Amino acid sequence: MSKEKNIEEAARRLRTAWETGVPCDPVRDLIGETDVEAAYAVQNINTEHWLKAGRRLVGRKTGLTARAVQKQLGVDQPDYGMLFADMDVPEGEEISLARIMQPKVEAEIAFVIGDDLNDDQLTTADLLRSIEFAVAAIEIVGSRVAGWNIRIADTVADNASSGLFVLGHEPRRLGEFDPRMCGMVMEKRGEPVSVGSGAACLGSPISATLWLARVMAKVGRPLLEGDVVLSGALGPMAPAAPGDVFEARIEGLGSVRAAFAAD
Amino acid sequence: MTDIAKLAETVDEAAQSATAIAQLTFADPDLSGTAAYAIQRASIARRLGRGERLVGMKMGLTSRAKMAQVGVDEMVWGRLTDKMRIEDGGAISRAKFIHPRAEPEIAFLMGRRLEGAVSPAEAMAAVEAVAAAIEVIDSRYENFKFTFPDVVADNSSSSAFAVGPWASPYTDVGNLGMVMEIDGRAKQIGSSAAILGHPARSLAAAARLLAEEGMALEEGWIVLAGGATAAEPLSPGMHVRLVAQGLGQVAFSVGA
Repeated sequence: MSKEKNIEEAARRLRTAWETGVPCDPVRDLIGETDVEAAYAVQNINTEHWLKAGRRLVGRKTGLTARAVQKQLGVDQPDYGMLFADMDVPEGEEISLARIMQPKVEAEIAFVIGDDLNDDQLTTADLLRSIEFAVAAIEIVGSRVAGWNIRIADTVADNASSGLFVLGHEPRRLGEFDPRMCGMVMEKRGEPVSVGSGAACLGSPISATLWLARVMAKVGRPLLEGDVVLSGALGPMAPAAPGDVFEARIEGLGSVRAAFAAD
Repeated sequence: MTDIAKLAETVDEAAQSATAIAQLTFADPDLSGTAAYAIQRASIARRLGRGERLVGMKMGLTSRAKMAQVGVDEMVWGRLTDKMRIEDGGAISRAKFIHPRAEPEIAFLMGRRLEGAVSPAEAMAAVEAVAAAIEVIDSRYENFKFTFPDVVADNSSSSAFAVGPWASPYTDVGNLGMVMEIDGRAKQIGSSAAILGHPARSLAAAARLLAEEGMALEEGWIVLAGGATAAEPLSPGMHVRLVAQGLGQVAFSVGA
């Protein structure tokens, strides 16, 4: 098969898993284990597919923002995925396990963009000016690949293993909290299951977001006014099981909860 | 019959000469926790006899991650003496340690005596100030390996500590970002919430554990609440700095 055909086939495999809820094999047999460019081509095919199908693009996520996770996957940069409106879970709503495959949770800072960032030479200043507010967020990642058996190409092709997200309800402007030094704790039944700090996200969630904004402008899907950015995990991810309730608290930024249905 | 005085001498000499020793439980597999605390008391008494002064205590193994890392499933505590203090911004000599590691901590300064079973809220009411701190742990055992009685007898691995500027006791230390750097690069990143969910819980546990030995947290004591992240090994030439959200920084360097 030609490379193009393989990319199409990989996109179809992941889409079928997403549609049926049945995890699939990795796609690295089709596109290679380390070909990130081909992997983004796969992701892009499905993004286009879903946009045509009527899903609304509402933001992006940055993944692989922890050095330890990058090392695990043998890469030296983060990755990105698309966020659609149907992935937004209102806080207080129980998350049906039918909506997410092999879920794990991560606590993050979500930024909401106030101005279009459609420039291929974005600076930190541009970004700081354009962030309208931030909220605490829990990202519920899921993999369409059975058993999370992923290499870098698999996760990038699979929309950066994105699943669902819950946004907190206490918007803060920059200057009202410290995105780099803020402490983070995520608890389940009163036990910390993940702790960390803003600095764990690529040095600072602002830096992770600038990386994302630059790449998005470059690939022609710039961050636009109103877009949500899940900037990357502040601590290790934790597995989620039926009935689990997680609360993430980010010092200065409030808290957010994700509750999974019991069955 | 466990010879408390002899074993206290063994761990004290290991600490003084920076020489690793075999775990006490190799020779005495039945060494009890009670005996281990008696050994700790006797070994620190030897230091006090040499003119050192008791200035506080440290809590250890205050997170599940830590307990799992060393394979011990109970909290431990140890004694702090004035000789263990590192001046903020000062230096330590690597040669005085066996295999030292640095841990980011929260320190409490006791404004009044605290004894027995108290709630975290009651414990905090006795606190005069809080600060960021770095503890240098240095197990006297070969390969940093030990069981519960071993580590307790060895003053819970405590060997030195640096405390940053004191801040108001009303500072909520429950979830502060902690970044520990080596030579300016972040090596350990976490939150004070890793300490039992809130360091105040560790302080309450400290009062309870001391009461089991007939002791109390004394006015003016420093209490180190436990490590907020994994520990970083230290080598000569390193500059170690901890920044804690809202508490500022504490630092020292490692000489030969």
